[in-house]
Amino acid sequence: MLEFTCLIPMFTGIIAMFLPVRFGRGILVVTALLHLQITILAWLGKVTPALPRYFSASPDGLLVLLVTSFIFLFISLYAVSYMSETEIASEPIYIGCTLFFMATMSMVALADHLIVLWIAIEATTLMSAPLIFLTRSKSALEATWKYVLICSVGIALALLGCFFIVLAMDIGNVHVPITFSSLGSVATQLDPMWLKAGFIFLVIGYGTKMGLAPMHTWLPDAHSEAPSPASALLSGALLNCAFLGVYRSHQLLYQAGLGDFSSNILIGFGLLSMLIAAVFIFNQTGYKRMLAYSSIENMGIIAFGVGIGGLATYGAMLHLIHHSLIKSSLFLSSGNILLGYGSKLISKTGNMAKVFPKTFIAFFAGFAGISGFPPFGIFVSELLIIIGAFQKGRSISISIFIFALILIFAGASRLVMKMSFGKWDDEILVDENMARVLPSYALLLTSIILCVWMPDSLYQTILSAIATIGGGLNG
Amino acid sequence: MIVFSDILLSLTLLSVLLSLASNRLMTLVKIMAFQGIVVSLIPLFLEHHEGMAMGSILLLQVMILIKGFLIPGFIYVAVKKIKMQREIEPIVGYHASVFAGLIFILVSVFISDRIHISLPGEHVLLMITAITTLASGLFLLMSRRKAITQVIGYLMMENGIYLIGTALAKQTHTLYVVEFGVLLDLLVGIMIMGIVLHNINRTFDDVDTALLGQLKD
Repeated sequence: MLEFTCLIPMFTGIIAMFLPVRFGRGILVVTALLHLQITILAWLGKVTPALPRYFSASPDGLLVLLVTSFIFLFISLYAVSYMSETEIASEPIYIGCTLFFMATMSMVALADHLIVLWIAIEATTLMSAPLIFLTRSKSALEATWKYVLICSVGIALALLGCFFIVLAMDIGNVHVPITFSSLGSVATQLDPMWLKAGFIFLVIGYGTKMGLAPMHTWLPDAHSEAPSPASALLSGALLNCAFLGVYRSHQLLYQAGLGDFSSNILIGFGLLSMLIAAVFIFNQTGYKRMLAYSSIENMGIIAFGVGIGGLATYGAMLHLIHHSLIKSSLFLSSGNILLGYGSKLISKTGNMAKVFPKTFIAFFAGFAGISGFPPFGIFVSELLIIIGAFQKGRSISISIFIFALILIFAGASRLVMKMSFGKWDDEILVDENMARVLPSYALLLTSIILCVWMPDSLYQTILSAIATIGGGLNG
Repeated sequence: MIVFSDILLSLTLLSVLLSLASNRLMTLVKIMAFQGIVVSLIPLFLEHHEGMAMGSILLLQVMILIKGFLIPGFIYVAVKKIKMQREIEPIVGYHASVFAGLIFILVSVFISDRIHISLPGEHVLLMITAITTLASGLFLLMSRRKAITQVIGYLMMENGIYLIGTALAKQTHTLYVVEFGVLLDLLVGIMIMGIVLHNINRTFDDVDTALLGQLKD
C-alpha cells in the first residue's frame, strides 16, 4: 500500500483541522516520521502500489518522493518551533493545509496515469494557496491571487496537452491504459505531430508550476509571502513535483524517438530561466525574493541538464536532490532572519555574523552551497552538467549557462555580503534558538554527506531513472 | 442533427463576441451562463457521440448544472455582494476587443484548416469555435483589470478547452478524459470564493487587480 504516503497525511490533516493547536504540532511531526518510514520501505521494495492502474513506484517518482519526505521531516521540526515563536493566524489551517499539501505532492510523485498526475498537480495548487495567504496581508492576497490565476491557466493548458496525447493514441490506433509506463512501451506507434503538440502544452502547463521563465512571474511573490516553513516546502518540494510532470513528458517523447525536439525545448526554457533569474536577482530588495529567483535559476539548470542528456542528466538529478536540501535550509534560515529583524527587506538587515551567529553559519553556508562551492553537492552536479554539455558539443549553450551562473553569483553575493557584514545597530526582535537552526544544519550536512558518500540504492535509482531518457554516466 | 450542432456552435461564437464587447458585469455573467449551457449541450448533437451511454448522459447533465448554473450563479452572488455594477475599465477597449475577437476567428479558421487532415469527423466549425473561445478567454483574462472579469475570462478559456476536447474525442476512453475538465471549475470556484469570502473586498476599495501592484521588481 504505497498509497499510504498520500492517505496518511490526508487523514492526519483532517484530524489536525479539528484538534487544538498543541496536538496539531505533534501530529505534524508524527506524520512526517510515518511518511519517511513508508517512503524508505518503498525504497527497499517492501511496499508496492495497491492500484497499479493509476500509481506506480517509478524510479524518478521514488526519488522525488524521498527528497520531499526527507525535507518535510526537517521542515516540520522547524515549523513546530517557528509556530511557537510567531503568531500564525489560524494555525490549525496551516497545519492541515501543510499536511494536505504533502498528501497531494506524494500523489504527484506516485502518479502513473496521465490524468491522475494532472489532478494531483492541480490539487497541489489548491492545497498550497491557503499557505501563501496565511498572513492575510494585502501583499499576501496579491501573491495568492497571482499564484492561483497563473497556475490555473498553466494547469488548463496542461489538460489540453493531455488531450493531445490521448489524440495521438487515437490516431495511432493504440489501445493501452493512459499511463506513462504503458504509453512508453508503445511510444513509437503514437502520432508524432500530436505528441509534439501535447509536449509543448504539457511543458508550458507544468513549467508554469515549476517556475520556468517566462511563466515564472507568480513564483517570487508566492515564495516571499508564504511563511518561511511553507516557502521551504514550496521551493524544495513543489517545484520538484512539477518538474516530474515535465520529466515524464520528456521521457515519453524520447521513447517515441522525438528526444531531440523535446531536449531543445527544455534547453531553451532552462537557459531563459537562468538568464531572467540573473537579471532580476541583481537589484533585489528582499532576501526571500532573492532566494525565490535562485529557485527559478536552479529549475532552469535542472531543465537544461535533462535537455542536454547523457552525463548531464545524472548531474540534473543530483542537482534536484541538492537544490531541495540546500534551498529549503536557506528558506528556514530566512525564517529566523525574518523573526529577528522583522522585515523582509535586505536594507533592514545587516551584521548577521555578529547578531545571529548560528543562523549566519547556516545562511552563509547555504549560500555558498547554492552558488556551487564545494563541499556541497551542487558543485558536483553543476560540474557534471557542464562536462556532459561539453561531451555533447553544445558550446554556445554552455557558454550562456556559465555566464548566467557567474552573473547570479555576482548579484547574489553582493546582497548576502550586505546582510552578513553590513552595518546594523537596532535591537533584535526574536533571538535565534537551537531548535530553529538545527534543521537547517541537518539539511546542509546531508548535502555534504551525499557528496562524499552516496548509498548504493540511491545511486542505482538515479541511474535507472535517467536510463529511460538516454542518460548515464558514460554519456 | 449536424445543422443543430452548427447552430449551437454559432451561438457560442456569438456569445464570445458579445462578452468581449460587454461592459456591464451582470450582462457578462448572463452571457457566461448561456455559453456554459450551450457548450455543454454541443457533445449531444455531434455525429460521433450519437450512441451515448447512460453515464455520459448523466455527466452531460452535471456539466450543464456546473457550467450553466452553479458557477455563473456563484459569480452572480459575488457581483451582488461587492456591489460592482458599473462599467469595467479595460486595458484594451471594447471595440478593439471585438476586433481582436474577429481576428481570433480568422486565425482559428487558418489553424483548423491546417490540422483538420488528421482530425476525426467533419466538424470544422467545432474546431474553429473551440480555438476562438480559448483564445478570447485568454485575451479577456489579460486585457481586463477587475478580478471578476479575469475569472470570467478563465471560465471562457475553460469552455474552449472543453470544446477542443470534444472536437478531438473519437473513442470511448477519450470521453472520460474530457470530462475531467470539470475539475478546473474547482479552481474557478476557489477564485470566486477568494473574491467573496476573503479580504479582497475589505482590503481593496474595489476589486481591481491594478491595485494588486505591490509586488514588483
